[in-house]
Amino acid sequence: MSKREVYVIGYGITKFGEHYELNPSTNASQALSKAIQDAKINKDQIQSLYFGSLVSNRNSQSYIGAEATRECNLNIPVTKIDVGNASGAGAFHQAFLAIKSGLLDCIAVLGTEKLSDFVNSSTIEKILGGTLDYQWEFEQGATVTSLYAWMTQAHMKEFNTTMEQLASVPVKNHANGVNNPIAQFRREISLKRFLDAKRISDPIGRFDPATYCDGSAAVVIASKEFVENHSEIEKKVKVISSAQSSDKIALHHRETLSSLLATQIASKKAYEMAQISSKDISIAEVHDSYPIGEILAIENLGFFQKGDGGGATIEGKTQINSEISVNTSGGLKARGDPFGATGIAQIIEIVQQMRREADQRQVDDIKYGLTQNVMGTGASVLINIFSNMEDDK
Amino acid sequence: MEPPKIWRERREKYLALGILCHECKKKSFPITQYCPYCSSENIVELKLAQTGKILHFTRVSQTAEEMMFYAPYIIGLVELDDGIKVTGQITDNKLEKLSEGTKVRMVFRVLSKNGEEGLIGYGFKFVPI
Repeated sequence: MSKREVYVIGYGITKFGEHYELNPSTNASQALSKAIQDAKINKDQIQSLYFGSLVSNRNSQSYIGAEATRECNLNIPVTKIDVGNASGAGAFHQAFLAIKSGLLDCIAVLGTEKLSDFVNSSTIEKILGGTLDYQWEFEQGATVTSLYAWMTQAHMKEFNTTMEQLASVPVKNHANGVNNPIAQFRREISLKRFLDAKRISDPIGRFDPATYCDGSAAVVIASKEFVENHSEIEKKVKVISSAQSSDKIALHHRETLSSLLATQIASKKAYEMAQISSKDISIAEVHDSYPIGEILAIENLGFFQKGDGGGATIEGKTQINSEISVNTSGGLKARGDPFGATGIAQIIEIVQQMRREADQRQVDDIKYGLTQNVMGTGASVLINIFSNMEDDK
Repeated sequence: MEPPKIWRERREKYLALGILCHECKKKSFPITQYCPYCSSENIVELKLAQTGKILHFTRVSQTAEEMMFYAPYIIGLVELDDGIKVTGQITDNKLEKLSEGTKVRMVFRVLSKNGEEGLIGYGFKFVPI
């Protein structure tokens, strides 16, 4: 495998939420230009833009990547990477591979979504249907929420996971989100409020899903050689592995609903490439679009034994500065979920933590950080690992 | 839904057909040109079992416009008696009366309506026996 080393040298992110006043392209170019400014390099040094978005280029939105490069006055190749709602992490993975290949040295990666333009939630449900088996799940009547409900039921039945354990995931993430300036919801929600909420797809309650919103996030990544030749670069965070795996798209074709096979395979590849184990990870940003999503993640990533994820969460083992700090940003739940931007936002949280720019949500002692971005109900999973070790700086 | 798609999928959706592989003897759904387990082309169409049991079920209240006329409805993961698992609506019943393991049979019903003038999409759902 290529020994070339890859670094994140800059990031930019917009406030996540409902921005009716912003064009999709304006929202995207804000994040992109912030990332270039943060990297301190001349923008002409950027050789390519990879961008990830679920909605761009369809449903009356034009090709946002091309508009964003015009607004930033860049004449570079623009390529949209499609991994459904995990397209942000998908774009990052492809950019990582391009630098590893040795052909490119400096790439901008943009994740963006403008979902408040779709005022009818049926439209978004239909778009999200494309991240499922459209013909045999979505057209039969299933939705992302209902399929996550089955996964929750399966975990509850197999491991006696309780409603309180499940609700402790968003309770923790909302508490973390209070201190994240770009989060859509900067307020705490009590365990009781989650438990008392109306069930929309039993056992999933009204407040359990992460909300769809607008948002853009961008990073600039570069090779070690590039960083060494550009003394203007002040801060860098090393990416030590990036991996992707897939699973059968339909739940009815899977062996089990109480694990995500794609997370297990991708994390095994990522740990091998990074030459570390799950025990070395200090912070993780995982896909908590539903409470069960975070529980499956922390089990399948190897942080806790299978079935122990719910107990570990309610006991506080995933809070900031505990055993492992999970979703210090507030996760998808408090930060909001602009699909394509989410994968990049997760990476930015790890970069901010490693650069010690996370203020009140700062984790004290960080060795390695991990991100996990999930498409649909787990048909595709992307994992990145970042190093904060002195040898790697 | 687009007319070519409805026409193309008529056999699977209206007749509930899967395939049986003569090489590895496994059954699968939906119809594919090759066996999804061993990639053999030596396959034949197979009529799915018409009865089965519910493994998981929950309520759906928000979905695509063309399916909203029945919402809220119940969506279930059903294991048919031939071992094949499919996703389908559990109809003619109430959520409270269902439980894991409830026996169901397949019925032919309306799945989607594309406005006043659009095509009607049909397919299979399940009702408790």
